[in-house]
Amino acid sequence: MTDNAADTGFYAEEMTISVGPQHPSTHGVLRFVVKTDGEMINEAIPDVGYLHRSIEKIGEKVTYHGYVPYTDRADYLAAMFANQAFCMAAEKLGNTEVSRRGEFCRVIACELNRLASHLISVGTFGQDIGAMTPFVHALRERESINNLMEEICGARLTYNYIRIGGVGYDIVPSTMTKIAEFLDHFEPIVEEFNRLLSGNKIFIERLAHVAVISKADALSYNLVGPNLRGSGIKWDIRRDIPYSVYPELDFEIPVGTAEVGSLGDSFDRFWVRIREMQESVKILRQAMKMIPRGPAISKVPRKFRPPAGEYYARVEAPRGDMGFYVVSDGSEYPYRVRIRTGSYTAMSIIDKLAKGIMMADLIALIGSLDVDAPEIDR
Amino acid sequence: MQALLDQMIQDGAFAGVPKEVVYAIAMVLTAVVVLSVFVAPLAGVTSWLERRVWARMQSRVGPNRVGPQGILQWLADGIKNIMKEDIIPAAADQKLFPLAPYIVFMGFLCAFVVIPFGESLIVADLNIGILYILAVTSLVVVGILMAGWASNNKWSLLGGMRSAAQIVSYEIPAGLSVLTIVFLAGTLSMQGIIKAQGWGPWDWFIFHNPFTFCAFFLFFTAALAEGNRTPFDIPEAESELVAGYVTEYSGMRFLFFFFAEWGNLYVIGAVATTLFMGGWQVPGFFDGYPVLKGIAQFVTFFLKSYFWVFVAMWIRATLPRVRVDQLMGLCWKYMVPLSFICLMGTIGFMFMDEISRRVFGAITLGFAIATLINFFRRVGFQFRAAKPEAYWKPHI
Amino acid sequence: MGIVGSYVKDIQDAITSTFEGMSITFSHLMRRPMTIQYPDKIPVPIQETLPLRYRGILEVDLDICTGCLACERVCPITCITIGIDMNKESKQRYFTHFDIDVCKCMYCGLCSEVCPTGSIRHSQEFEGASYNPAGLVRHFAPEASNLYKPKKGGETEPKLITKVDIGLKYLDEFATPDGGGAAEEEA
Repeated sequence: MTDNAADTGFYAEEMTISVGPQHPSTHGVLRFVVKTDGEMINEAIPDVGYLHRSIEKIGEKVTYHGYVPYTDRADYLAAMFANQAFCMAAEKLGNTEVSRRGEFCRVIACELNRLASHLISVGTFGQDIGAMTPFVHALRERESINNLMEEICGARLTYNYIRIGGVGYDIVPSTMTKIAEFLDHFEPIVEEFNRLLSGNKIFIERLAHVAVISKADALSYNLVGPNLRGSGIKWDIRRDIPYSVYPELDFEIPVGTAEVGSLGDSFDRFWVRIREMQESVKILRQAMKMIPRGPAISKVPRKFRPPAGEYYARVEAPRGDMGFYVVSDGSEYPYRVRIRTGSYTAMSIIDKLAKGIMMADLIALIGSLDVDAPEIDR
Repeated sequence: MQALLDQMIQDGAFAGVPKEVVYAIAMVLTAVVVLSVFVAPLAGVTSWLERRVWARMQSRVGPNRVGPQGILQWLADGIKNIMKEDIIPAAADQKLFPLAPYIVFMGFLCAFVVIPFGESLIVADLNIGILYILAVTSLVVVGILMAGWASNNKWSLLGGMRSAAQIVSYEIPAGLSVLTIVFLAGTLSMQGIIKAQGWGPWDWFIFHNPFTFCAFFLFFTAALAEGNRTPFDIPEAESELVAGYVTEYSGMRFLFFFFAEWGNLYVIGAVATTLFMGGWQVPGFFDGYPVLKGIAQFVTFFLKSYFWVFVAMWIRATLPRVRVDQLMGLCWKYMVPLSFICLMGTIGFMFMDEISRRVFGAITLGFAIATLINFFRRVGFQFRAAKPEAYWKPHI
Repeated sequence: MGIVGSYVKDIQDAITSTFEGMSITFSHLMRRPMTIQYPDKIPVPIQETLPLRYRGILEVDLDICTGCLACERVCPITCITIGIDMNKESKQRYFTHFDIDVCKCMYCGLCSEVCPTGSIRHSQEFEGASYNPAGLVRHFAPEASNLYKPKKGGETEPKLITKVDIGLKYLDEFATPDGGGAAEEEA
């Protein structure tokens, strides 16, 4: 760089910066090759593959039961949803009934997991914007959820809770009481979080009108989950392709409303997540009231051999539509497992949105899309 | 200090040694003593306190293992950093890279020369004291820019550029806010400004009239920006620029930057106290006892200025970071016009007769007290709303 | 709202939201920190506070292990290796080795669910640091030991009764999918 300057004197050209994979706010190991003109970004090319663990290939080598703990690792912030999506596919292939109590246990565990995942998302988003305290407050609440998860299934992050035919362990009444206590404690904390961070003038100024995704763009880039709903499109697998017992539960689907800026800006996506947490609390309260008695898992043979066929199961994960496409050839092992995750498509839109925004906005954009490295690479 | 030295030279304590050499040695010795006895522990303890205060606001404990409640943490950190390998990257500018931290450090250390800790406890009561502080703290930007350039790292360069733009812009609102006080006091000397105020809040310049009240907050905000503190910490913005201009630094050089940052925090508090909050002024009660009075003055000044250090930590724990264009917008669209208005308003008040000026001052003071009461009621509300487990002790 | 109005409102919003935020952070000074000072300044060891279902490092009670190899088969990463041999004279089968590689283990809990006697189970232990990976392979059969044969009509040997009870209790609480005692508690 200095050599050129010596030859030609003053000159101006694009600067290429490598953001990541060890950058503090790339949430795992993402990498962007960013071409900037000072602070303004001309191009941000995503570079994926730093966290590839070949989870799909492993699926062909282990049994259906044995693959469930591997699905935990597809998105370790929301392991429950990958569990459920795979189990739904396997159940459909093997014509297995899920016990009703098992379904409710799944809903409770999943919604708790959604809270935990969204807490991480909004917390780290705050930290990307520079507010350190809301991040720790969010992690504090997540810690309580992790403790509940520990009581429910014995693990804090990679649960292996949802099994083919139901759930691994029943939720005992004492745990139910603890969940109810937590929810009572949690609701005021969300309000407090909003007063501390979401209502802050600097925070709003940083996010309003930044990286606006129009409805058409959101659809054409196949965004899912809160990113899609942030652009004002009311699409939620729980309502539109109903699974489990969600049709029986009463909840709303928050969409972006251009609260402070324009529709589909970074703040809308953030705000959808906050409101989804409040909806999850509602779902949890209902599910805990409605849960019937009975076995938590139906009878499933230990050697699970579904007949040949294929099925694509989708669930509404915190990062959007998560799908497991499982092909069975009638043997003990799946013939092929394919995972579809929300972060991958979210990653693809960054290049389009990054043109003409500032370096600081790129960080806000990555945070607002809630891009999660393990989900991208799998 | 100088008088004592002159007396000793006259008495022939240093017979045969040229006067200039004696002065030079005395200066170096004083600097070393001041640095090691006061400034270093001050910056160190500030760093520890910031971590503790920050931790409590985040439901954490913070460093509490080294010494009682971890108060010696800074010493452990310092020793560790001194013993670390001194790395100068091969691609870095070999001369400027090692030099940068010392320039930053010098910028803040020189400010201590004119900080009045007491009526007689000041290194040099320059008649242009406040101007000197504004000038000498600007040296920091040279060091930061130097660090950003010499590191030969893109993050560092961006950080250095941001810092230069930021500090240079915020000099203006800071200078204008200072000017309101200079107009009121009629002097640039730090001691002169303090002597123009009284010990009670009603005699402080901050409650002189509503405009100085605003000017104080403008000054404090601008000073935070000049000290690269949150919400204006964009030059070293961790989540954006990795570590900004300190990305390539490690060990003791890295420490010097942060030494300067925490020391600078105290300078901000001290200048705010001097200009707006009556400095070391104590009630007339102490007049008969010179030693006691000196101690009382030091304690008063120290506590007042440290309160603002605490506020800076508190703000850091609360606010997100602004973007670089918003930072400039805030400066030029909001703070510069407002500080002009404050300046003009204060000039208007200078023509007002004393009684009506006092009335406005009292209204300002009343407003401040009402705000404070409202604040604590709000704190009570926040506490009750979250239904947390109370823990009143400051230590854990 | 004109330009002046929005200008004033910006300033007002900034001041009020900062005021609000600062009152929240200040109120946290009076709240108890969430973190604990692991590992020394805590009232009770963490292991004792963990729930029963906690999936810590695997432990094996070889005295009640029947050698059915169910755990070895179900393990998705084959971190359990069991060797069984037969004594030609007494026709008694015995373990040559029973190793669990804690490095590989992903704590999925599948092995302890399939165990018929509850001999392999997750302990509450989680502090397994070691200087080398070899140190993390747990050998549960240091010397050749015989397999356990469940007797009809319950265990009679006093030394084994408690062990069998512990294993079955563990199975009941942890590994039974419908929560074991939970159903009774609810009724």
